[in-house]
Amino acid sequence: MSEPDVIKPEMMKSYIWLQTADGSIQQVEQEVAIFCPFICHEIHAGMGSSKTYPISLPARVNPVTLSLILDYCRFHQVPGRSNKERKSFDEKFIRMDTNRLCELTSAADSLQLKPLVDLTSRALARMIEGKTPEEIRETFHIPDDLTEEEKLEPLKNITDDPRIRLLNRLYARKRKELKEKEKLKNVEVEAEHVDDRSVDELLSFINGENGDSKEVKTAKNKKKNRRRKEQQKNAPPVCANSNTSSSPSNGTKESNGVSSVSRDDRVKGHCLPNISELLKLQDSEDDRFALDDDFDDCDIGDGIDPEIKEQIDREVEDFARRLNSDWPERVQELLSLGQERRPSLYSINGNGCSTKRSNASGLEKHEK
Amino acid sequence: MSNMKQKEQPKVPFQMDTEVDRISNLPGHIIDKVLSLLTLRDAVRTCILSSKWRYKWVNLTSLVFDNQSVLVSSQDPTIIKNKMVKIVDHVLLLHNGPIHKFKLSHRDLQGVCDIDRWILFLSRGSVKEFILEIWKGQRYKLPSSLYLCDKLSHLELFNCLLKPPLAFNGFKILTSLDLQHITMDQDVFEDLIYKCPLLERLTLMNFEGFAHLKIHAPKLTFFDIGGVFEDVNFENTFLLSTVSIGLYVNIGNDHELTLGTTSKLIKFFASLPSIQRLEVQSFFLKFLAADMVPRRLPSACMDLNYLSLRINFNDMDECLAALCILRSSPCLLELELLARPDEQQSSKVAAKNLLEEDYQNCFFTQLRFVKIAGIFGVPRELNFINFLLANSPMLERMTVKPASQDGGYELLKELLRFRRASVHAEIIYLDP
Repeated sequence: MSEPDVIKPEMMKSYIWLQTADGSIQQVEQEVAIFCPFICHEIHAGMGSSKTYPISLPARVNPVTLSLILDYCRFHQVPGRSNKERKSFDEKFIRMDTNRLCELTSAADSLQLKPLVDLTSRALARMIEGKTPEEIRETFHIPDDLTEEEKLEPLKNITDDPRIRLLNRLYARKRKELKEKEKLKNVEVEAEHVDDRSVDELLSFINGENGDSKEVKTAKNKKKNRRRKEQQKNAPPVCANSNTSSSPSNGTKESNGVSSVSRDDRVKGHCLPNISELLKLQDSEDDRFALDDDFDDCDIGDGIDPEIKEQIDREVEDFARRLNSDWPERVQELLSLGQERRPSLYSINGNGCSTKRSNASGLEKHEK
Repeated sequence: MSNMKQKEQPKVPFQMDTEVDRISNLPGHIIDKVLSLLTLRDAVRTCILSSKWRYKWVNLTSLVFDNQSVLVSSQDPTIIKNKMVKIVDHVLLLHNGPIHKFKLSHRDLQGVCDIDRWILFLSRGSVKEFILEIWKGQRYKLPSSLYLCDKLSHLELFNCLLKPPLAFNGFKILTSLDLQHITMDQDVFEDLIYKCPLLERLTLMNFEGFAHLKIHAPKLTFFDIGGVFEDVNFENTFLLSTVSIGLYVNIGNDHELTLGTTSKLIKFFASLPSIQRLEVQSFFLKFLAADMVPRRLPSACMDLNYLSLRINFNDMDECLAALCILRSSPCLLELELLARPDEQQSSKVAAKNLLEEDYQNCFFTQLRFVKIAGIFGVPRELNFINFLLANSPMLERMTVKPASQDGGYELLKELLRFRRASVHAEIIYLDP
C-alpha cells in the first residue's frame, strides 16, 4: 500500500480467513489450510477470501487446536519430506496432555483431516492398551461411577454364578482385614508381610473370629473426607498376595469365563509386591470402606435391607466354609493370570511375520 | 473489587478443567475407532471404566480372537479349549450390532465343534471378513453354515476341510480368498472358484484333495500358489497381473514327451496377457520346460516388468525356458534369478551346452536391476550373466550372491572381465 517497491512475501502467497467458534478470526496461508478437506470445501464454496467472509469452523475447533492442526498441515504439506522425517514429526507432535489430545482428535475429525485423526486415535489407543482400568481412569480423568456390582455384571450375567458375587464379598473382607493390619503396622508395609496373610487366616476370620467391626467404625470416623472418585472398583483380589500352594483344579476356572478378558486386569498391579503400589491400594481401600460403611457395610450395592444383608453375611460364611477347598485354587488361578499378563504385553506372537509358524503342529503360513 | 476476586477464586474452574473427562465425550465414531485399534481384550475391558464406557465396546465391528486378545494361562488343552469357548461365547452374546470381521486364530486351539456354532451365528449377520486359523490338530471341517455367509468379501482359512453343500450358491461378492493347508475335492475346488465371480485375489498354499488347478476367475488380478499339483489352467483370467507360482515337487526328467500338443510354456503365457509381476518358484520352471520349448513366445509379455525365476542352471530345458521368457519380455525392468542346486547330477544334461546362437538377438532395453543368488560360478551360470550384461544397455545394478564362499574369488575375477552394454552398470558382490 505505502511502499510499492517492496514486495512483501505475504503478498506472494494467498491467505484465507478462518473464524473459530469463540469468534476470533485469523489469517492463514491457503496452501496450508486447504490440507483440511473441510476448509478446502469451504474455499471452493467461495468463503474465506476476506475478513468479512471468514470460514466459520466447526464448534469443536478452538484456537489452540486450530494452531496445532495448522502446524501439522504446515509440516506435511511440504513435498519431498521422507517418511522417516514425517514419522518423527508425528511422534513429537502427539506428545501432549491427554485432554489436549482428545480435543485435537475431535477438532481434526470435524475438519475431516483423516491422517491426523488416525494419528491421534492411535496415540489414544496406545495410552489405553495394556493398562489397568485404574490407570486408564487416571490418565483420562474418567470418573469411577460404577458400583462393584455393576462392574461384575458382565461376568455375572454370563456365568450366572453366585460364587462370583460371593467371592467378591470375600475379597472385600480380605481387603478390610488387610487395611486393619496396615493400620496396626503404621505404614510400615513390607511386601512379605502381606504375603504372610494366608487364605486360611482369611477363612478362619470369615468363619467366626470376626472381631474387627469396631475397628472399622473407628476407621470410618477417621475418614472425614470421603473422596468417592478414588473408590477402588472391581474388588481387587488382594488375596492374590497370599501364597497358596494347592494344586490347580479347573472347577473354578470353568465358571470364570470371560474373566480372563475383563477381569484379570485387576490382578495385575495389585499382586506386585511393590510397596508404593500397596500403599496406594491401602489408601484407596480406606476410602472404599468408609463408603461401604455408609451402606451398612454392604459392598455389593446401594440401599440393601439390613435383613437381607444379614442373610447375605450368612451366605458368605456358608460359602466360605464350602469353598475351603475350592477357593485357594481360584486364587492360584488369579495369580497365574496376573503373572502371565506382563510378559504378554511384550511378546509378539508372530502374527506380523511373513511366515506364520506354529511350533506344535509344524504348520506354516505364508503371507504376501 | 477485592470482594469480587475472593468470590471468584474458588469458582475458577481452571484446575478442574484439566480434570475434565474429555475422552468419554468424544464423538462415538472416534471412540469406536480407538477401540478398534485395541486388542479385543483391552477393548472389552473398557466396560468397567465408567458408566459411559459400559457398552461402548459392544459395537465393535471387528472381533479378533488371537493369542494377543485372549490370554489363556494353562498348558492343558482341555482348559485352553474351555476358556476359549467361554470367552468367544460370551463376547458374541454381549456383542451388539453388525460384525464385519471375525478372526479366530489361537495357537493353542484345536478345531472344536463350538466353532460351528459361531459360524452359524455369524452367517445370520453380515460378516464381511472371516478368518479362521487352526494351528493345532487335524483339519477342521467347516460347517455348512459357512457357505451361507453371502456377504463375505474376504475369506481366509488355515488347516480346514471344505465341503460345501450341494445347494451352495457361491460367494457372490467375495474378492479375496486365502486357503492354506486345506483339503477339498477336485470338483469342489473348481466349483468354489467358479462360484466366486468377483474374486480378485487368490492364495492357495499346501492343499490336498485336488491336483488340477482350473482357475476360472474373470476379475482375478493376484494369484499366489504353492503346492503339489499336476497342471494349472487359467480360464478367462485376462486381468491377472501378479502371479507367484511354485510347484513343490520335482516332476523328474523321465516325463513322456507329449508330441503334438502345444508347449506348456506357450499355453501358460497365452492365458496371462496382462501379467506384470511373475514369480516362478520351486520346480515350476522345470514343469513349464517339460515339453518342447520355443525360442520365443507367440506373443510377447508386453506388461511384464518384474520376473523372478527359480532355476537349475544345470538343466538345459530350464535354461532354454528362461531364455524364452526373457526374449519375450521386452519391457522387463527387474529380474531375479535364484539358482536351485541340482537334485540329481545327471551327466546327460550336463553334457549338452547352450549354443552361442541361443543368446543372440536379444536385447533388454528396459532392464535396470538384476539379482542373481545361489550360484556356484559354473560356466553356464557365468554364460548367463555374461549374456545379461552384454545385452542390457540400461542396466544400473547387478547383484550377485553365490551359494558358498568356495570359488568366490574365481567368480569375482570372471565377473570383472565381462563386457557391459551399460556404462552405468555396477556389479555388487554379496558375501554368501
